[in-house]
Amino acid sequence: MSSPSTAVAEPSSAAAIDRGEPVIDVAGLALCYRLSKQRVGSLKEWMIHLVKGNLVHEDLWALQDIDLRVWPGEIVGLIGANGAGKSTLSKIVAGVMKPTRGTCRVRGRVAPILELGTGFDHELTGLENIHLNAMLLGRSKREIVTRVDEIIEFSGLGHFIHTPMRNYSTGMMARLGFAIATSWVPDLLILDEVLAVGDARFLARCHTRLDRFRSQGTTTLLVSHNLREIEQRCTRCLWLDGGRIRAQGAPDDVLAAYRASVANAKRAIGIGAHADAPAPPDGAIEGLTAADLAHDDPSPPR
Amino acid sequence: MMTLFRYRDLIWTLVARDLKVRYRRSVLGFVWTMLQPLLTMMVFYLVFSSLFRFDVRNYPVYALAGILFWNFFQQSIIASMNSLYGNAGILKKVPVPMMVFPVATVISGIVNLLFALVPLFGLLLATEPRLISPALLFLPISIVIAALFTLGAGLLLSPLAVFFHDVRELVGVGLTLLFYMTPCFYPLSIVEGRWFYFLFEYNPTRSILEVFRDPIYFAKIPPLVHLGVSMLVALIALAIGAWVFRRAADRIPFYI
Repeated sequence: MSSPSTAVAEPSSAAAIDRGEPVIDVAGLALCYRLSKQRVGSLKEWMIHLVKGNLVHEDLWALQDIDLRVWPGEIVGLIGANGAGKSTLSKIVAGVMKPTRGTCRVRGRVAPILELGTGFDHELTGLENIHLNAMLLGRSKREIVTRVDEIIEFSGLGHFIHTPMRNYSTGMMARLGFAIATSWVPDLLILDEVLAVGDARFLARCHTRLDRFRSQGTTTLLVSHNLREIEQRCTRCLWLDGGRIRAQGAPDDVLAAYRASVANAKRAIGIGAHADAPAPPDGAIEGLTAADLAHDDPSPPR
Repeated sequence: MMTLFRYRDLIWTLVARDLKVRYRRSVLGFVWTMLQPLLTMMVFYLVFSSLFRFDVRNYPVYALAGILFWNFFQQSIIASMNSLYGNAGILKKVPVPMMVFPVATVISGIVNLLFALVPLFGLLLATEPRLISPALLFLPISIVIAALFTLGAGLLLSPLAVFFHDVRELVGVGLTLLFYMTPCFYPLSIVEGRWFYFLFEYNPTRSILEVFRDPIYFAKIPPLVHLGVSMLVALIALAIGAWVFRRAADRIPFYI
């Protein structure tokens, strides 16, 4: 128990979160994409099907039975094959999508970077886009004005900041997007495969910033196919498979299991097989193809 | 509503972006906003002064006021329906209250309307200077009523346009029908006595239009009854639109 007299330090925004409660609290979560068997894209077709009484939907459960609690300061890595539900889960946590069943509660300020450069208007200049983008993330004009210089500095865009965005390269947009989203220390940072772009120098700057966040108590949800990155950065790893949690725990253990499974699947397909080679039926059901697996881990499993 | 207030800076920025993108690319942007309704009015004037005759004092002012109202209404609804599609990339990746997009659309519609009012005032001065009266000071209130009504319609229709791609075509046809049912360019008296007169008389857009046109064309504040009815119509439209939009909002990311 701390005595009142010792409580002098003003807590930072991230540290203000009570350590005793989870930042992300997901319980019994499921998300269903409703795919209509006949593409009902128009009111006319919908009416016809309604009258005929054959409005059949096929439910695709992208996520099922997800229970997850992430505590302050954790860095949780999300891994899994394409279509396993990683991005869907990060979208729900970010608040972009609502779960079909179950709950997802998130406490504190969230900085979601689900894709670098979302919400940029290519007709506006970089500077105008800083304002637009930061406001989309819920920042007020006053907050933004104090950070503009820092954002420009971090992005390294220099005088290009006054050029319309349509003249930017992908890397420039990525740098600016990351600079804006991480200009404020969030309570929860969601990174969905965004560190894959950008050159080595930019990546190094990103990592420095993420390390600083970590020391300030920011919780991070990291979606990545780069298993090395997960290994190095995460305190916990979550393996999604077919919309369910297959394993979670210490990154080393989960990654070992994941790599073993990938190696198995590779063996089943035949090492060195290409995407156009016929995949075995069970592999197809899992949504795994040789191409996916090949991309999954740049470093060959030993 | 509280959330919208929290995102007010964003809304203003979206409005500014809308206007910038609209006017930056063409030098004639502003001029065009003012000229287009004038030209439309001239077409009506030519048609109705030579082909069909009806007695309307100062027809150019009557028709131009009607056209300005209608342009605002129609363009804002169509732009609202496009606003969710146009910002699909944002809606799928950034947790932002979706209502900001139709709201910003209607606000930039108001700004365009204000620009388009300039030549109308010029026309008043040129044709009937006595119409420049204190009653014009009532116009902002009329515009707010029209904007709330338009926003309600936009909120109702924009999610539907996401779910069904033919809604935009249907709305286009519906707006054309509604345009001819609203006395924008003709006096209501020409349908008097016909069996369908009541459809025209109780057309909600008509009451909104008249509250907008009264201060301009008659140089008077609209009668209290009209004012009450149009306000009620606007608030009901807004309530329905907001209710539908909020219910639909969770499903929009799945369809966009």
